[in-house]
Amino acid sequence: MFDTSRLTRFLPPRMQSQIDAYFEALDVLLSVKDPKVLGALGPSGVRGLILHRGKQGTPTDMPATHVAHFDWTYPSDQPEMADLYRRAKVGQWNGDDLPWHTSVDPFDPERPLIPEEFLSFEEIEALGIKIDKNERTQLSYSMCAWMLSQFLHGEQGALFAAAQVTEAVQFFDGKLYGATQVMDEGRHVEVFNRYLDTKLHKLYQINDNLFVIIDSLMTDGRWDMKFLGMQIMVEGLALGAFGTLYKLTKEPLLKELLKMVIQDEARHVHYGVCALREHFTKYITERERQEREDWAFEVALLMRNRFAAYEVYDEWFEGRMTRAQWRGVVDRSKGMVEFRTTMFSRLVPNLREIGLLSPRIMPRYEEAGLMRYFGGLAADKLTADKLLADLH
Amino acid sequence: MELDKAQSGGERANEARRGSGPAALLPATIVVRLEALVRDVRTVLNDFTGARPAPYSVREPLARHLIAVTPEPSPGITPRRLRVTRVVRETKDAVSLTLTDPEGRRITFVPGQFFTVLVTLASGEVLRRAYSISSLPDEDGAAAEVTITIKRMPGGRASNHLNERVAEGDVLDVLGPSGNFIVTPDPAARRHLVLIAGGSGITPLASITRTTLAREPESRVSLVYGNRGEADVIFRESLESLARDHADRFTLRHVLSDPPEGFTGRTGLLDHDNVTRELDAIAASSGLDADAAEYYVCGPEPMMIAAREALLARGVEPARIHEERFSAPARRTTPELPKASALVEIRLRGRTKIVSAAPGQTLLEAGLGASLPMPFSCTMGGCGVCKVKLLSGNVTSEEPNCLHEEERSQGFVLACVSHAAAPCTVEVP
Ligand code: FES
Ligand SMILES: [Fe+2]
Ligand SMILES: [Fe+2]
Repeated sequence: MFDTSRLTRFLPPRMQSQIDAYFEALDVLLSVKDPKVLGALGPSGVRGLILHRGKQGTPTDMPATHVAHFDWTYPSDQPEMADLYRRAKVGQWNGDDLPWHTSVDPFDPERPLIPEEFLSFEEIEALGIKIDKNERTQLSYSMCAWMLSQFLHGEQGALFAAAQVTEAVQFFDGKLYGATQVMDEGRHVEVFNRYLDTKLHKLYQINDNLFVIIDSLMTDGRWDMKFLGMQIMVEGLALGAFGTLYKLTKEPLLKELLKMVIQDEARHVHYGVCALREHFTKYITERERQEREDWAFEVALLMRNRFAAYEVYDEWFEGRMTRAQWRGVVDRSKGMVEFRTTMFSRLVPNLREIGLLSPRIMPRYEEAGLMRYFGGLAADKLTADKLLADLH
Repeated sequence: MELDKAQSGGERANEARRGSGPAALLPATIVVRLEALVRDVRTVLNDFTGARPAPYSVREPLARHLIAVTPEPSPGITPRRLRVTRVVRETKDAVSLTLTDPEGRRITFVPGQFFTVLVTLASGEVLRRAYSISSLPDEDGAAAEVTITIKRMPGGRASNHLNERVAEGDVLDVLGPSGNFIVTPDPAARRHLVLIAGGSGITPLASITRTTLAREPESRVSLVYGNRGEADVIFRESLESLARDHADRFTLRHVLSDPPEGFTGRTGLLDHDNVTRELDAIAASSGLDADAAEYYVCGPEPMMIAAREALLARGVEPARIHEERFSAPARRTTPELPKASALVEIRLRGRTKIVSAAPGQTLLEAGLGASLPMPFSCTMGGCGVCKVKLLSGNVTSEEPNCLHEEERSQGFVLACVSHAAAPCTVEVP
């Protein structure tokens, strides 16, 4: 994507960044090659990127089009899911038991929320913008509150999507398991919300790109697309993001909170792999499989390129640097590099495992620099312990 | 706050749908779509004019996050040690002890709760007494230090010990905090708390007053506080300074039975008539909206009875009257303890276990001793957390305790103050 500021630099800053935002939206939509995928992502793209439905200051209603699937014979059909259900039941925890008594000072140099070098201050200064010591801690605080806000919004999406998936899934053992996931996601909403409200006192609006992904999977009527969107893509994104923050933060309450959440999420991805491997390899046509393969790739790119914390840009740098410059700063920041590595090292093996990374699409992954994650362990082989150990 | 705007926006939209104007002529679904369209167009226009909302909103702790939680039962009754960091003599018969955790863990509590203090006398005997917290928690619901206030009871062994012997640097063993006589701070609330305190009953109400004034900018507090003489008034200065700082939202009304010269407040005891007159005065000066007022009463038993009657006589709904009783231990009846051990069958979340309760062992101790995760908090009959349903058999309980009449009639007993007098079966609800 090119830097629109060359064309628009005579306009007021607000308009410059708006035009950049439109070009970016256009770029997202144009880059989708498959018309079917565009059909699935396009309307969500318009609602999120152009209409900012998530930022209108009013609740958002998303109509559902899926079918609730009942089975009156209650079959025992998926032993692996039944096992996950058993583990999920004993793995329940109470959000109240986290050490909430911990006093959190976002500006405590001894226990920083995120490390100094998460965002590259040098790059910002190289653009001629001076940020002093105090502003650096303030900016780190904004960045952390932004991330946690997106986690919270993502968890709200996960809560409703998990409920939908539980209705729509065709495996009975999957439905029982799904009920525990709904509970898990409810608890995740609870703890992130409580952390933001009682400790950081700041909540950012939902990022437009995150809105697009949530909108798209909530309104898609096909259960396997919901699964793919929710259990593989969003959960993969979540694991990447939570894992990164877990690794980097020195704030003990946040660390503990993330540790508990990561253990739940590991089960969620495992469930997705179980359900889709079966379905994609046995029950759909090659044409349908290809469509899903393309969709997953587009969403993966969306997740890689677009989580640029524009809400933090609006708060801090609008008029001081261009949106494209900010994108560059975030893109190259240490924290984001770490995040992408963690996310894709989880996501890519899972896509391979469920049959959505065939030789047909490999060149595009290669081009995007994502093939190096191909050999990793998929979620069904990965325990929560291993997952957390990897983050040390 | 962003959320509030969203809510009121939604309400307005609903009104528009029901109400007058051209919108009333259209079917509701079309109105909803039109509204959405208007919002979409406005959003896109705002993108260019720069009139977008701020990308973030400032958040405050919600009541949901601060509500009291029952601590997970630990395998036994293990008290927590707290260090006394300050001793303040409030009156000649009352002392405030400020406590902190020696390991620096902050203490989570809700205004109105109390600690059970385990007082070990020189003889080795351990007494358990409830003392309310009078300080306020930080915004996130915990605090690095808490203050409890202890009034000396005539002949009270624990209260005299705490008033005379405890010094800075000592450690106290406590359980809790416990209790449902609480006000969970809610920054969005608009309520009128009417507090009626007698003597040392001020302690929980002081915490409630301080917290509400600090955290609920839209709420008001009216405090009626009865004492003998001026020298008996606990927190006199700090309450007065609160009244000065929040003159528009906080009314402080002293009632003294032995008033000094020149006292302009009401004189006499807080009996039925005086409570009624005080409530009339509050209603006259600041209004008493039946839908916004909540009543919190804490003090000696005769005052509590009088206040309750006076409130009911005014037509206050019983659900709006909250009471905290701490019976003076002298008046507490410890029933004759059973002489032999008895078998107790305890049912808990689908599990059943038969334990043997030794004479002198409470049901709670017997259950915990057998590693059943029975819930409890104060261990002295003051919070109700340990209540169990007696399905068969017989127990003797210390009275009075905090069970409500209704719970009693349904067969509930408090496991922490009950002994099995015969083989019995109880169920943890
Ligand atoms: S534990 Fe509080 S009443 Fe029994
Ligand atoms: Fe989650
Ligand atoms: Fe999840």
